[in-house]
Amino acid sequence: MLTVGTALLLTGPAALTGCSSSARAPSGPDPLESPARRAEADAALAQAVVQTQTQTNPALAASARALAEDRTTHATALRAELRRARPLPPATSAVPPPVAAPAVAAPDLSAARTALAQAARAAQDEAAGLVVTLPGYRAALLASVAACCATHAALLS
Amino acid sequence: MSPYRVRSQVPVGALQGALGAEHAAVWVYGVVGAFVPDALSRRLDEAATAHQARRDATQRILIDAGAAPVPPEPGYLTPEPVTDAASALRLAITAETDAAAAWRSVVERSPADADLRGTALEALTDAAVRATRWRATVGATPLTVPFPGAP
Repeated sequence: MLTVGTALLLTGPAALTGCSSSARAPSGPDPLESPARRAEADAALAQAVVQTQTQTNPALAASARALAEDRTTHATALRAELRRARPLPPATSAVPPPVAAPAVAAPDLSAARTALAQAARAAQDEAAGLVVTLPGYRAALLASVAACCATHAALLS
Repeated sequence: MSPYRVRSQVPVGALQGALGAEHAAVWVYGVVGAFVPDALSRRLDEAATAHQARRDATQRILIDAGAAPVPPEPGYLTPEPVTDAASALRLAITAETDAAAAWRSVVERSPADADLRGTALEALTDAAVRATRWRATVGATPLTVPFPGAP
């Protein structure tokens, strides 16, 4: 028993160093970075639709406003989890390209509605894909994001 | 992989909660059908069938994991008396909200890469969409919540 303990003491620091360096320097972007950016882009898109459709299509504007609010809430929660996991900002070289989501509202009713529905469906798909692989807390967070986006897609289609 | 490892990874408590929510939802849709207009009967039937299928599938998962599935309660207390179509549909929204919460818990407690994660996500999503559609039917606002199933 004593011998084993001594051996552990001698090898402990080296093992700990190796462990901490790999655990605290994760490579690549956090998997929540992309859904966070997408939530921000969707919120901007939906807000733009609100501004162009409020006068002419109040019903669509209301749907867009609800989507903008929920996606803003998603972005806030995802950013909070990103900061919790990695308190330091990522190196600039690790920042992935932004999610392609035009923050320009389509001018006419059906095009605007289609753009919002497609954004909601794409956000649902992305979040659902992450649910399978992430640890429990994050999986549950993304599962709720996916379910919420599904409700918006259902209302818009 | 040994069968014992598979059994230990199944979140039995969370699944029993989901089964309890599905039992309740099946009961609720039986009640709701008596109060709503015929125009909604197809949507009610679809919802009832979906919950019956979830109930049966969840029972099978629990049995495969070596657990005894919880039975339905002999009776259920509703948050408010069901007297008309509006109160009946509010009860349906409550049942869907409860189901969403139970299935989100299964997502959180299932191991990553398990088929169960996908099943639970699908159940959570379906419940959230049905809740939103019933809110639209009764004119409840807001129609959506940002985190369906979250405590």
